Amino acid sequence: MRANEIKDLIIKGDAAGTAWGVEEMLAAGLAVDDIIQGILVSAMNVVGERFREGQIFVPEMLIAARAMKAGLKILEPLILQAGRKYLGKVVIGTVKGDLHDIGKNLVGTMLQGAGWDVVDLGVDVAPEKFLKAVKEQKPAAIGLSALLSTTMGSMKTVLGLLEQEGLRSQVKVLVGGAPVSEKYATEIGADGYAPDAGTAVHVFARYAS
Amino acid sequence: MNSKERLTRRLAGKPVDRAPNCNLIMAFAPLYIGKPQSQFYLDYKVLVESNLRVAKDFDLDILGAISDPFREVFDFGGKVEFPEDDIPLCSDNLLKSYEDLPKLQIFDPYRSTRMQDRIQGIELYKREAGSEYPIMGWVEAPFAEAVDLRGMNEIMLDVYDHPEKLHQLLEICLEAEIRSAVAQIKAGADLIGMGDAAASLLGPDLFGAFALPYEQRLIAAVHEAGALARLHICGNTTAILNLMKLSGADIIDVDWKVNFKLACETYRGYAAACGNFDPVAVVQQGTPARIREAVWKCLDAGDANTLIMAGCEIPLSTPHENLKAIAEALRDYPRY
Ligand code: B12
Repeated sequence: MRANEIKDLIIKGDAAGTAWGVEEMLAAGLAVDDIIQGILVSAMNVVGERFREGQIFVPEMLIAARAMKAGLKILEPLILQAGRKYLGKVVIGTVKGDLHDIGKNLVGTMLQGAGWDVVDLGVDVAPEKFLKAVKEQKPAAIGLSALLSTTMGSMKTVLGLLEQEGLRSQVKVLVGGAPVSEKYATEIGADGYAPDAGTAVHVFARYAS
Repeated sequence: MNSKERLTRRLAGKPVDRAPNCNLIMAFAPLYIGKPQSQFYLDYKVLVESNLRVAKDFDLDILGAISDPFREVFDFGGKVEFPEDDIPLCSDNLLKSYEDLPKLQIFDPYRSTRMQDRIQGIELYKREAGSEYPIMGWVEAPFAEAVDLRGMNEIMLDVYDHPEKLHQLLEICLEAEIRSAVAQIKAGADLIGMGDAAASLLGPDLFGAFALPYEQRLIAAVHEAGALARLHICGNTTAILNLMKLSGADIIDVDWKVNFKLACETYRGYAAACGNFDPVAVVQQGTPARIREAVWKCLDAGDANTLIMAGCEIPLSTPHENLKAIAEALRDYPRY
């Protein structure tokens, strides 16, 4: 199987085929990093792009993400064995009062695929919980997701809390979700914003350790 | 011209004094009359009283029984929480596995809790204002209901992993929604709105397979029972506009992310488009001047039967002067 064929399997959302293909690549002697960057990440870039352009939709994006994860799972033991470093740790979650998680999950998976150690706090996450995670997990960045105009204010609360606890300079805060904009991100003093999961990978990449 | 005449004439493309104001009101209503949110969802008297006040004070032309997406889930036996002063919350999925599908009992709306409450709401509307206002019942469309029962992430994968099972679930949802819609029509609803926002996440192929056929059957049942049908799919539906027009709905809502002119053209001869300014940026955060501009832009783009609303629900914290500004813009439009 060639690299391009595996990429196609990911794009099509074929998890079993992807896992099998990744094993074959390993057997052929390809380096773990090359498989991640050259195949997994590159396939998800295509998926992100097609989603942005309206060629594919949420279900296709989700099954592609699942296939990518299946490939990543094969590599996991080797990643740890080789002492390969993650890009860093990120904590993500949907803010308090908000149950929308599809976008947040996609962002998490894409980041995972790109080589981040992702800690997902789930939905309806209180500001205090983000604070606790920052203290305990010491992530390079946190990603806040909000889909409701009524809950996006909670992002500002999280930023204020970090400031208050003297932790603001230690962690980058990225925000996203349909009602959130670049302008809003700047207004509340966040470090970054992305309109979709593909772009999120690029924005987070700035803060890799 | 009262609201009932206004809507009927407008749908027929006949002259009206102003285009009907078809905004969707939910959480805004209890806040407006100073009642806690939970009462709006649990007590039809509060829903009716608050909506009547909002309709009168802000010149709305439809009285709606829409409140939240979880009436059916509750009556199917799902767990829904009602925080004192927040919107209802359903954080646990009733149908975790398709093995439990046979246990899913279709409820009888007349013996249910929350759908029965909605039916009583329609009856009360009818008594209080039935000759003046069109009364709109509400149901989840089958695809949206499947999502409410099983979870969004799950259904988004089921379309590929378990299409057969998903169709079985959709049949159950369809049956429950038909019963609920017909009961509301019998209670006096002139039209039935149905929400299918989750379907906006599907591309045309999957929408055509899992959402549209069930919308069509639900709408056919609504028509057969003697009411009009309004299809509400918020989100960016540009890719499925062409399919939505085949639903049979008389009114199709258009969210702000869609080009309204394109939607009106697509629906011409099929349905009245209803839309479509941004509920947050324009209605909640905008100024009366900006609102007027947005409303007029929609009217300019539309036809003789076009209806006007914000793309989705009027946000809770909308300033009253902004909601007033929609009515004023409709009244003052110079080119009807
Ligand atoms: C699915 C959905 C639901 C599902 C959620 C299921 C779930 N598990 O997520 C259910 C049915 C539960 C639901 C409930 C409600 N919903 Co809802 N829902 C939607 C819907 C249809 C799709 C959202 C979605 O998943 N989009 C797809 C994903 C992929 O896009 P995304 O989330 O924007 O994410 C992308 C980017 O934003 C970005 N991103 C996201 N997060 C992050 C984070 C970071 C750090 C970064 C960098 C990037 C990033 O990357 C993602 C991938 O590309 C939208 C309407 C629509 N069609 O958009 C309404 C919508 C979001 N809901 C809305 C509303 C009002 C509600 C309710 C209040 C309805 C009610 N009255 O009860 C409740 C609230 C429940 C709650 N407390 O949260 C409104 C919000 C309006 C507003 N701006 O305030 C919308 C816009 C519908 C509308 N037009 O009015 N909803």
